[in-house]
Amino acid sequence: MTATTEIVWDGVQRGYIPGERLDISPNLALHERVTDTVDPVTFEVIRYSLLNTNLEHGRTLQRLCVSPITMLTRDFQPSITLQNGDLVFLGPYLQYFSNCQSLTIKWILENRSENPGIEPGDMFLSNDPYVGSPHQPDAVVAAPVFVGDELFCWVANVLNHADVGGCDVGSFCTRAEDMFTDPPALPPIRIVSRGRVQADVEQLFLRQSRLPNNVHMDLRAAISANSVAAERITALIDRYGADVVKTVMTRVLDAGEQTFVERLRQVPDGEWSHRIFAEGKGLGDDGVYAYQLTVRKEGDRLFVDNAGTDPQAGSINVAYSGLLGAFMCALTASMTADLGGAYGGVSRRVTFDPVPGTLSCADFPAAVSPAGAYTMETLISLSGAVIAKMLSCASPELQRLAIGPANPAFYATITGGVQDGRPFIAPNVDNMIGGLSATPHSDGVDFGGHFWIPEGIAGNVEELELLWPMLFLYRRAMPVRADGAGRYRGGRGFVEATIPWSVPGLAAALYIDESFPRLVGPFGGNPGTVGRFRLKHGSDVLDRLGRGEVPQDFDALTGELEPVQAKGPMLMVGAADVWEWTGANGVGYGDPLTRDPAAVLRTMRAGGLDPATARRVHGVVLTSDGDAVDESATEAVRTAALAERLEAATAPSREVPTVAPGTPIRPIGGELGVVERDGLPTLFVSVTGRAVLGPVTGNFKEHCAVLERPTSEIGPEYVSPAGRAGERMRYREFLCPVTGLRIDSEIVRPGDDMLHGVRLAVTP
Amino acid sequence: MYYIGVDIGGTFTDCVLVDSGGRHVTAKALSTRTDPVEGVRVALTRLGEQICSDLPTMLASTSRFSHGTTIGTNAVLERRGARVGLITTAGHGDALAMMRGRGRVAGRPIEEVFQVHGTSLPAPLIVPGAILELHERVDRTGTVVVALDPERAREEIRGFVRRHQLDAVAVTLLWSFVNPVHERLIADLLTDVAPETYVSQSVDVSPRLGEFERMVATVINGYVGPACGRYLGDLADSLHRDGLETPLLVMQSNGGVLPAAAAAATSLGTIDSGPAGGLTGVASLARAYGHERVVATDMGGTSFDIGLVLDGQPVMAEENTVDQYTYRLPRLDVRSVACGGGTIARHDPATGAIRVGPESAGSEPGPACYGRGGTEPTVTDADVVLGLIRPKAFLDGRMPLDAEAARTAVRALATRLDLSLEETAAGIVHVNNMRAATLIRQQTIERGQDPRDFVLYAYGGAGPVHAFGFAAEIGVQDVIVPLGNGASTLSAYGIASGDVVRYVEFERSILAPFDGDALLVAVREAAEAARAAMVDAGIDGRAEVSVVALMRFQEQLVNSLEIPLPPPVGPDTGRELLERFNAEYQRRYGAGGTGLFGVAEVYALRARAALASSVPPVAGTSGSGRGNGTAADTTEVYWPAQRRWLTTQVFDGPAFAEAGQVRGPALVELAHTTIAVPPQATLSTGARGEITLRLVTTAAASTVPILEGTR
Repeated sequence: MTATTEIVWDGVQRGYIPGERLDISPNLALHERVTDTVDPVTFEVIRYSLLNTNLEHGRTLQRLCVSPITMLTRDFQPSITLQNGDLVFLGPYLQYFSNCQSLTIKWILENRSENPGIEPGDMFLSNDPYVGSPHQPDAVVAAPVFVGDELFCWVANVLNHADVGGCDVGSFCTRAEDMFTDPPALPPIRIVSRGRVQADVEQLFLRQSRLPNNVHMDLRAAISANSVAAERITALIDRYGADVVKTVMTRVLDAGEQTFVERLRQVPDGEWSHRIFAEGKGLGDDGVYAYQLTVRKEGDRLFVDNAGTDPQAGSINVAYSGLLGAFMCALTASMTADLGGAYGGVSRRVTFDPVPGTLSCADFPAAVSPAGAYTMETLISLSGAVIAKMLSCASPELQRLAIGPANPAFYATITGGVQDGRPFIAPNVDNMIGGLSATPHSDGVDFGGHFWIPEGIAGNVEELELLWPMLFLYRRAMPVRADGAGRYRGGRGFVEATIPWSVPGLAAALYIDESFPRLVGPFGGNPGTVGRFRLKHGSDVLDRLGRGEVPQDFDALTGELEPVQAKGPMLMVGAADVWEWTGANGVGYGDPLTRDPAAVLRTMRAGGLDPATARRVHGVVLTSDGDAVDESATEAVRTAALAERLEAATAPSREVPTVAPGTPIRPIGGELGVVERDGLPTLFVSVTGRAVLGPVTGNFKEHCAVLERPTSEIGPEYVSPAGRAGERMRYREFLCPVTGLRIDSEIVRPGDDMLHGVRLAVTP
Repeated sequence: MYYIGVDIGGTFTDCVLVDSGGRHVTAKALSTRTDPVEGVRVALTRLGEQICSDLPTMLASTSRFSHGTTIGTNAVLERRGARVGLITTAGHGDALAMMRGRGRVAGRPIEEVFQVHGTSLPAPLIVPGAILELHERVDRTGTVVVALDPERAREEIRGFVRRHQLDAVAVTLLWSFVNPVHERLIADLLTDVAPETYVSQSVDVSPRLGEFERMVATVINGYVGPACGRYLGDLADSLHRDGLETPLLVMQSNGGVLPAAAAAATSLGTIDSGPAGGLTGVASLARAYGHERVVATDMGGTSFDIGLVLDGQPVMAEENTVDQYTYRLPRLDVRSVACGGGTIARHDPATGAIRVGPESAGSEPGPACYGRGGTEPTVTDADVVLGLIRPKAFLDGRMPLDAEAARTAVRALATRLDLSLEETAAGIVHVNNMRAATLIRQQTIERGQDPRDFVLYAYGGAGPVHAFGFAAEIGVQDVIVPLGNGASTLSAYGIASGDVVRYVEFERSILAPFDGDALLVAVREAAEAARAAMVDAGIDGRAEVSVVALMRFQEQLVNSLEIPLPPPVGPDTGRELLERFNAEYQRRYGAGGTGLFGVAEVYALRARAALASSVPPVAGTSGSGRGNGTAADTTEVYWPAQRRWLTTQVFDGPAFAEAGQVRGPALVELAHTTIAVPPQATLSTGARGEITLRLVTTAAASTVPILEGTR
């Protein structure tokens, strides 16, 4: 390290961004030879073997690890990388780990190849968020694979450990103010040397944990699983030769890059932005903070920046690795899922130019450990939203690939206490049941899980009750209401209520309670559910149980509501206390007033939607026998609702022309389209109203009627608890000035500027 | 006396008859979907013709009659089951729909798991809205927290069944497998208020931890139960009218058979019993042939199924997924991957390499050489190009193949790959074999077994023609083509030879060192329950009972080792069990693990009560082994490993029987398949009629992972 005071992207003062060329000790020989004579059959045999080696690596981890929740949520990831750390294969587990092992390995190459050196039989451990881990519980174990004395490739895994220290139980330290109250971060240290686990180094890591035995077993599982994968690769090399295997690895990367480039060619040059707000930077704070992301597509590259994001604050930060992982997981899931985890080539075409010192690219010593529950999800959601905007402007095949935003938080709770004389930590990650966002062509999948954890699974209630001293009063599907409504509705989430059982009480260390909806749906779709956590003290729940009733309505229970804060203190939960929390419905797509009435009727018949809500949200009216849609009444209600919107809205400052009848409009999404000249987009227009919304280089929102009101007024689903930040937040609708149909929307702080979300470049 | 097995498949109904000397004959008839009973009668009549007997005479001399049906599986896949509703604990009725958040991808192939696009939840099984939540609650210890009010429940249940017009009701209450008092009470109330309704209780169907999987098991059981019951009743009546005097036995997915009445009560057990029949047949044959460790492989047109036999016993699995619904039931562990004769090969433009599968041409249009409009090259087309399958001899000449169409399809791919026609065809076969080998290797290595220690059984239409390739890939030396010419009726043979079996499982957490009475009490309880289950099923005779402990280290929620309890149970049982567990754990995962880990735990017990089938071991076929037979013909085959065309002898069944032993390169063309014998390999017939392909193994193709390197 030099003595200069300049802050560089070194993984110490600032998140690590490797340069084009890695600075590796000349003492470490790298295997880089490839051959041009791999026949297409041998190629496939080796590719398939490498893919399966990585899958087997994942299964070995699953069998050997002891943290049940980590294994159910697939909160781990095995990888194979090239000798220089470039990703070759990722498994079907938690996808935001896509680049954390790659970053960690590159840092190891640059900082450890000289001292202590990288040798056959070594493995390195790291949980440093400024190097590569999204947050400290995610510990990477990376193993170099050698051929002779040449470093051939790496196998690595990362998994979320149950507790790695810090000021809060479970190591999601919402209350940490900086890295010195956050869990300790270990930069890469050699935990296995020449095949021997280094007891001193291992104990250094274990000593930080509230559950050292648990962490010990999971760490050993990680080491063993790496050994299995390394052996399999060595066997492949023995059979086919190192150069041939390396050729296949390199060409897999090239092929991924090629696939991505071909898809990028179907996207017009342009720039897309999105913004999401978080509530509370740390204990007791009710500020609202902005995360913004912009993607620019130019030729066959993407450029990503986070300008507009607020400065780093409290514990709601991530370092560069988190931003990178979040964006890449949304990008690969949307655009290249068919590569089956061979995503490294995609990274070559994405350039990050982040603003440091921000919430999404923090400098040391900002606290980051709660990122796994908040900030990573916010950034994945933000990335999904931006990518969906970009794809909406692309060819019809690519338009269909949009996934949209994910839930903006990992709705979860971490409770803890003592059971049978032993401490327990209960990370409840039931939001694996959460719903997927609506897509441009279909409703979001109910209980579809997180798109970025393809194989994740929630625990059964019985499994959770077996592990922890609790009784679940209910775990049921969220009703279909305004939250998540749209032309296509978001997938349904869940709500559950729990009481302590067979213990006098416990403590809630992590809980997520939002006071305003954080996501709008694409192209005027309704926001998703406001994720709530409610706690009632001294309730009559035990009396009711005794009287033969399993309480099903939190509001009907007596007792005193805890005034929950966005980032509050650890909450004590007594034997007669009840907590209830929600996993959100996904966001809708398009204006709910344009939903097919027949689809509304189907949902009503399935029992998920009541008539009053159908009328309020979708303007759908049923015939008097309730058996069919009353077409004319529906038409009338919808027309009136649209007129009411325009009445209340501020009209655009200039007269809005309409395009001539017969002029073809190419749909972008929902009510937004473009008019093309010579095959190139020139003007934004509204699809039904045919209003001209300005040139495609400008902000179409400036040509819309704008209706702005408090978020609490969108509907009863969105009302903020008294005294919370949600009372200040605003919902801004951008309406077609002709029809009143919603084209887009934003949730903003008072006075926030109008985001320029879609901008197409003018092609010369 | 005769022993008969009948297997209804999607297209054909296969029958096998074994006589008391172990000789067997087979017959085949088209399945009749509208009236499956009639299809069985037609097939049986043909079987009788084989032994010059009419149906009543044959049935009257039959001492054991077993049957495998797909009626349950089809009812689920085609959503043609009963109108079923669910009764559960208040607050938990949505668990079935929420599917633990994994329903979108459960049971889907890995290629689809990565893809968010196009994955969705399966269609529901219950009548929409037909969920009744009752106020009752039991906690994890079995203590009743909220007592069920029977009078209130009675009225609610009565209204529920009537409102939704239910044929069947599934009852799954939280923690009922620990304390079934409320579930039993509800079942009684149902019988009382709706006596014609089929009642499926989770504590009987699948008494395992996890309400979602238990609900699925109970609901599917209710969904298929009425139809299965009717069909099995009709079939039993028909057979008895025709002269059968013994009870009709029905194949289960666990490899055993049950009397029809008991099978109808837990119809869930018949789902996916087809593949179990094949593996059971292999296990029976392996006992006769003296093979302790067997990889059983069934390669057909679209899929490749594998199962293992270890120490003479088929390997079991705990879970099954049917149409994305996962449930727990002990069953034979038969896994599947999409690689068979119809698997399509293509050029991957991004890498320039060949890809084989997972897409399949199926049987419609099928491979290009079927001449039904298929144009994409498949594995079977590659076989034809290589000469491994001779167009005029396919299926005994009953279905001539279009060799030119095969060449055209493969040539198109060859051009894109810039390879010769033969190299491309060899490549298709090689990659397909490698996919098959990978599945085998994963399943053996996962259990800490070295695949080289196994004998491989190859059956199914595309099995024996490719076995030399995938067996060599995993380092196996001996390949058995079981029952020779009868390979396609192996499943029927398994059905005929399956033991009468009942499994009883219960969750019971017992922590090491197992020095108290808890383990012994639980084991005795399990064994007694299994015996009682046999009596309930109407089985007389002394059942043999064995108990397996399902073990892991405490809190290792995802791991599970089956450790057989050493009989007889006594004071040393706990110590021996722990030793066995540690040994097995170390064998699988290396010595590094166990010392470190915490407390070993028995988390469930599985007792198996079995009455052996007494079907005589198969006898040899006549005319084998004189060693002086001559080839019927010769042909040119391009052998993938040798990478050149070689003049290859061709034998038909009788010629091979005459020869007894042939040395490769050779093809042996049987009625339903071709056995490919590569250069230097030998094919011979054993004393019991089994055909053995002995390969010259070369490289050690796979290793068992040893994890102690890091200790």
